[in-house]
Amino acid sequence: MFVDISDDPQATPRAMAGRAPDVFRPGGWVPMRCHRDDEPVDFVIVGTGAGGGTLACKLAEYGFSVVALDAGPYFRPLEDFASDEAEQTKLYWTDDRITDGANPLQLGSNNSGKAVGGSTVHFAMVSLRLRPEWFKSRTLLGYGADWPIDWREMWTYYEEVEQALKISGPITYPWGPKRPRYPYRAHPLNAAARVLARGCEALGISWTETPLATLSAPRGLAHPCVYRGFCVAGCSTNAKQSALVTWIPRALAAGAEIRDLAMAGRIEVDDDDRVTGVHYHREGRWRFQRARNVVVAGYAIETPRLLLNSATDRHRDGLANSSGLVGKYLMTQSNQAVWGLMDDEIRSYKGPPSLAITEHWNYEDNGKDFFGGYAYMSQGPLPQLWANTLAQARGLWGARLVEEMTNYNHVAGLKIVGEMLPQERNCVTLADEVDQYGLRIPRVTYSWCDNDRRLIDHSLAFMTRALQAAGAKDIWAQEDDTCHLNGTARMGDDPRSSVVDADCRSWDIPNLWICDGSVFPTVGGVNPSLTIQAIACRTADRIHAMARRGELTGSSRRAAQTRTASQMA
Amino acid sequence: MSNDTDWLVGAGLALSAIAATAMLQPSPPRRLERKPASLPSRPGPHPRASVRAARRLNRAAGMLAASVLADSSVEHYRGSFKNKAMYTPLAVSALTLAMSAHGTADRRPWAHRLRDGSYLLAAATGLIGTGFHVYNVTRKVGGFSWQNLFYGAPLGAPMAILLSGLLGFCSERVRDTSRAQRPHVFGLPAARTIAAVTAAGLLGTSGEAGLLHFRGAFHNPFMAVPVTLPPVGAALLFKAAARDPGDDKTRRHPLTRAWMWLLAAMGFAGVGFHAYGVSRNMGGWRNWSQNILAGPPLPAPPSFTGLALAGLAALGLMREHPDA
Ligand SMILES: Cc1cc2nc3c(=O)[nH]c(=O)nc-3n(C[C@H](O)[C@H](O)[C@H](O)COP(=O)(O)OP(=O)(O)OC[C@H]3O[C@@H](n4cnc5c(N)ncnc54)[C@H](O)[C@@H]3O)c2cc1C
Ligand code: SF4
Repeated sequence: MFVDISDDPQATPRAMAGRAPDVFRPGGWVPMRCHRDDEPVDFVIVGTGAGGGTLACKLAEYGFSVVALDAGPYFRPLEDFASDEAEQTKLYWTDDRITDGANPLQLGSNNSGKAVGGSTVHFAMVSLRLRPEWFKSRTLLGYGADWPIDWREMWTYYEEVEQALKISGPITYPWGPKRPRYPYRAHPLNAAARVLARGCEALGISWTETPLATLSAPRGLAHPCVYRGFCVAGCSTNAKQSALVTWIPRALAAGAEIRDLAMAGRIEVDDDDRVTGVHYHREGRWRFQRARNVVVAGYAIETPRLLLNSATDRHRDGLANSSGLVGKYLMTQSNQAVWGLMDDEIRSYKGPPSLAITEHWNYEDNGKDFFGGYAYMSQGPLPQLWANTLAQARGLWGARLVEEMTNYNHVAGLKIVGEMLPQERNCVTLADEVDQYGLRIPRVTYSWCDNDRRLIDHSLAFMTRALQAAGAKDIWAQEDDTCHLNGTARMGDDPRSSVVDADCRSWDIPNLWICDGSVFPTVGGVNPSLTIQAIACRTADRIHAMARRGELTGSSRRAAQTRTASQMA
Repeated sequence: MSNDTDWLVGAGLALSAIAATAMLQPSPPRRLERKPASLPSRPGPHPRASVRAARRLNRAAGMLAASVLADSSVEHYRGSFKNKAMYTPLAVSALTLAMSAHGTADRRPWAHRLRDGSYLLAAATGLIGTGFHVYNVTRKVGGFSWQNLFYGAPLGAPMAILLSGLLGFCSERVRDTSRAQRPHVFGLPAARTIAAVTAAGLLGTSGEAGLLHFRGAFHNPFMAVPVTLPPVGAALLFKAAARDPGDDKTRRHPLTRAWMWLLAAMGFAGVGFHAYGVSRNMGGWRNWSQNILAGPPLPAPPSFTGLALAGLAALGLMREHPDA
């Protein structure tokens, strides 16, 4: 075997000419079925993250021809990932974006990835189910919007994803309806997690080991976790069950084609209001992949951006936007923390960052002065991130920063993933500036509402008590962090108030689908990736069923279906 | 840490007390000169059969001690010998191993004082070690939870040295009573007592393997083997222990013997499987110094071999002594 020294995944595509990288074998390749641009495939999927990667796998396994594009590189985790925070910023989506609003979001490391596998390549692996009531939060809890899907149906898809990712979790989960046993056992708690546990026990609430998408035992060629804690800088052992090492290899084996370093710029739509393919940029030029269906799965900012950038004379406000809601109802999640110093050494960076969790305030509605809920987890910031946190949140610099960093091994923290309410004014629109591809860049506008603030205040007060009870000293609150992004192409029952239906199919264009975090009507107080993947599995099942019934073609949703679906069968 | 020191001192005292009592016992009367007059008239086998069984038991006890020595060295090293008492099982199992080797070579038909003492010490270490491990588990946040059973000090592990001590002690009793009408342990028929102890040991060890393999989510189907074969072996041994002493035809137990050989082989094969398990960690065997600690314990499975050998010794004695 020879080593190609020009093999820079960020400069030259790797998935080419009938083969794609084998992420499990250094220097290895797996065969890949390839399609010509002018050969219409059943599905072009834009984005290969939690939504797109999962859907590509499932659709290919159902026998559809699939081409999945990703703007990011095709990494080989065993070879390309360094134990170096600065180097690993290569995983983030750091293209130009404008942020504004009363609480502008900080974009990049904490919310979006750019790689085959999407943000799951550097996500923190926390894999939680939504509380059942949240699927009907407007009806049952009086806020937000209802989902068009029943929680019981989601429960079966959650199980499918948990099995597919061999989630390691506790034997019994303290909250919500009974769930099947997690396929792998929970990981050992680190000292930071035990701080959370002690706080919970002192305050009389439940806690448990966090269900995580990282292996606690070997799986095929993937190694079990080595507890070095580099997870959010990319896992170099393949223990992390990212889309890159789970759904994507399965997709390739089932005949899907993955194109890395392929940036979609515009979706083409014909006069019958049907999409015909995607314009994408690869190897220095624009190309056009023909397709019978297009799925957008670029995450909550890039998805609306692509839809808005694809505007035509007939679709002046962008595609799938007759409701005017594409880009609206952007939701992030609050990610505030309290930190303190323990007498004992904690070394919180040992192991995955969030080994213990309490969902108490997701399931308990008494004692709240706000709508929604939050979970909180133990934390394990890497040193550079920790120095940044101290600099930004506490304004420490120079000698004071250095001095504070000497306490690093004694720091313990608790951090929430909190529900923010959907607000129409929080949105993604297009700015006039263009990026390196000549595409208009997104403007991301965000402001908290009073309810968001009340939730945050409640959480900070509670976590402060918990940390005190666990014996921490010098406690301080980090008040303005946010994380995951969702919304911007919400699903619903009514074409006037939603962009897609329960099957992730756009109301306006029957062969245009959106399948990622964008479709969430509400976010709940848990990390979203498990739900995104469950939705993708459900969408694939629905598409499969529709194809068998011949319902995939047709020019208008409400018009009688005239054409047959022979091409999809 | 004063808490731990207290424990340490207490344990040390208890151990030395036990060892001292054992050592101070009057040595068994040497009655070599007394011609085994009753032998020809006594129906039943030659005392050599008992000594053979006793030596086999020494060997079984040694096997277990070797497994404990290696396992506790690795695991307590992994725990950085945080508590000085963590050296105890190393020293005791090394001693037990040496004594067992001595016993295996020794053909004399009476117990040996030093061996007896060290076997008692081993048994006591097992009991006290279990206490330590229980304390370690309950002290952790979450108490008796799956988390702490999986990752705290393994509750079943010290049982192996307890079993080694018990089997060794039984071995000495078998020797001591080799010329009696029937070999016995505290008045109980020796072979059947040892079979029952071994069966219980098999169940316990299998339970320990079950717990840890459950922790590994039985990700490899072979991980089910040590939780299925040993309980069957235990049932067979219990059945053998409960047989009718008068019935000569049922004394050979061919299936039980075969099963013991199967378990003995399984114990060795287990090392191979665990070696494969080690290789599946990041860096494989090239990264051995880390992965031997992170992967499945190499020395654990041979404790099944040790128990199976004890079972065979008991069965052998049973075959030759109708009412042992
Ligand atoms: C640091 C961090 C930690 C996280 N931790 C957790 C966690 O613990 N648990 C959890 O549930 N979630 C976590 N998340 C969130 C989770 O990763 C995301 O919610 C999820 O991956 C989103 O899925 P998606 O399919 O919507 O988008 P992504 O997974 O981001 O995938 C989108 C992909 O589309 C590609 N793309 C976008 N636009 C285009 C285009 N025009 N052309 C071609 N390709 C394009 C991007 O390159 C990207 O690869 C974390 C996120 C981050 C950043
Ligand atoms: S701690 Fe585990 S999951 Fe995280 S990067 Fe290391 S091996 Fe991967």
